[in-house]
Amino acid sequence: MAAIEWIRFLAGAFLLLFGLFIFLIEMIGVFRFKYVLNRMHAAAMGDTLGIGFSLVGLILMSGFTFTSLKLFFVIVFLWFSSPASSHLIARLEVTTDEEPEKHYHKYTIRELEEKLHKEA
Amino acid sequence: MSRKLSENEYGKTASGRLKRWLDGDKDLFLDNVEMRPQKPFEEDEETKAKRAEEKKRVLKKVYDINNNRQVRVFEKIYRVSAALFCVLLVAMLLMAISQLPAIGEAERPVNNEVSERYIENGLQETGSVNIVTGMILDYRAFDTLGESHVLFIATCTVLILLRIDKNKKKELEEEQNDSIYEPENDAILQTVAKVLVPTIVIFGIYVILCGHLGPGGGFSGGAIIGAGLILYLNAFGFEKTERFFTAKTYKRLSFCALACYSLSKCYSFYTGANHIESVIPLGTPGAILSSGLILILNICVGIVVAGTMYTFFVMFRKGGY
Repeated sequence: MAAIEWIRFLAGAFLLLFGLFIFLIEMIGVFRFKYVLNRMHAAAMGDTLGIGFSLVGLILMSGFTFTSLKLFFVIVFLWFSSPASSHLIARLEVTTDEEPEKHYHKYTIRELEEKLHKEA
Repeated sequence: MSRKLSENEYGKTASGRLKRWLDGDKDLFLDNVEMRPQKPFEEDEETKAKRAEEKKRVLKKVYDINNNRQVRVFEKIYRVSAALFCVLLVAMLLMAISQLPAIGEAERPVNNEVSERYIENGLQETGSVNIVTGMILDYRAFDTLGESHVLFIATCTVLILLRIDKNKKKELEEEQNDSIYEPENDAILQTVAKVLVPTIVIFGIYVILCGHLGPGGGFSGGAIIGAGLILYLNAFGFEKTERFFTAKTYKRLSFCALACYSLSKCYSFYTGANHIESVIPLGTPGAILSSGLILILNICVGIVVAGTMYTFFVMFRKGGY
């Protein structure tokens, strides 16, 4: 019995540490990247993957109790809300950017089709 | 309209008059006070020159440091005494600090009988499992009432400052409308909001109702419900929200909640001051319907906070609703 407990604890701790590692990468990305959309990409990684791993680790450590159900709902909530808010910020950035050609290339549908044809 | 009386007859009854008064339909100053528009201040050149000359003369007589010996002496004394006062103040504060009891001493004033009493008798006297809620809504309910009023007054001030006149609104919208870039009717946001808004509101209600059983209470739960309303507004626009929440609704809700809070606290102060047994039962600790007035007060605070959050957002984004 004790071995299973130990394995559970170690797995939970590993997942928690992995989540924290992803948070570290996120922080570096948020401070190093220069453009909004790049920074958002880094931040969204922490909001989905980092918090997901951390909370799954905590669920494993606490066992199947009411608390772990609440933690699971927190994951579900964040995975709903974080992409939606990222989408809104990205859309606002794309519509209000004054110099888009400096930061990214906007493909029209025809250009994309040509590109696909070339590749195929 | 479900009422039996017609609109005219209803206006004559007491409740009809109260409703009219709350809505502000009747202007108290109209027909009673003569109102004149304010005139801009004007004066002719002669009096203007005269006044300037007088001012110059007074300044020369009173504040001329080079010729007025009294002013010179006063200036010196003022600077010396200001420096002395500062030194004295610093010395007094340092002395007070040196006389403070050391950290961790059992005789410190922080470790007095009040906190002991809260911890030992809190559950018995308030019936609330969460001692913090028992403290802020029972022992110190007067303080919380003031906080709710501060929120209400802050919203009233924001309403006064940011409200845009309805006649001027159309011109403003064309001139300085920076909200045209905001995503409208975004399919992704609407789909997410359909799932999240009910969840958030239900969670807020849960936090309010369980304020006396665990962490939570009126302030946090109200903030959650307000955030849910703001999400709903962002997803579906003003036409949808204005069907159930306008400035009038907010005023009525806040008024009712604050009046309910004040009246129930009046009752408990009255019974407490006169040593009368309160009729409200404390119930069994741990049940939802327990701990006397705390549940009602939590709901009142929650309503005020939720309305305040939503109203702040609307006023800063659109200026009136």
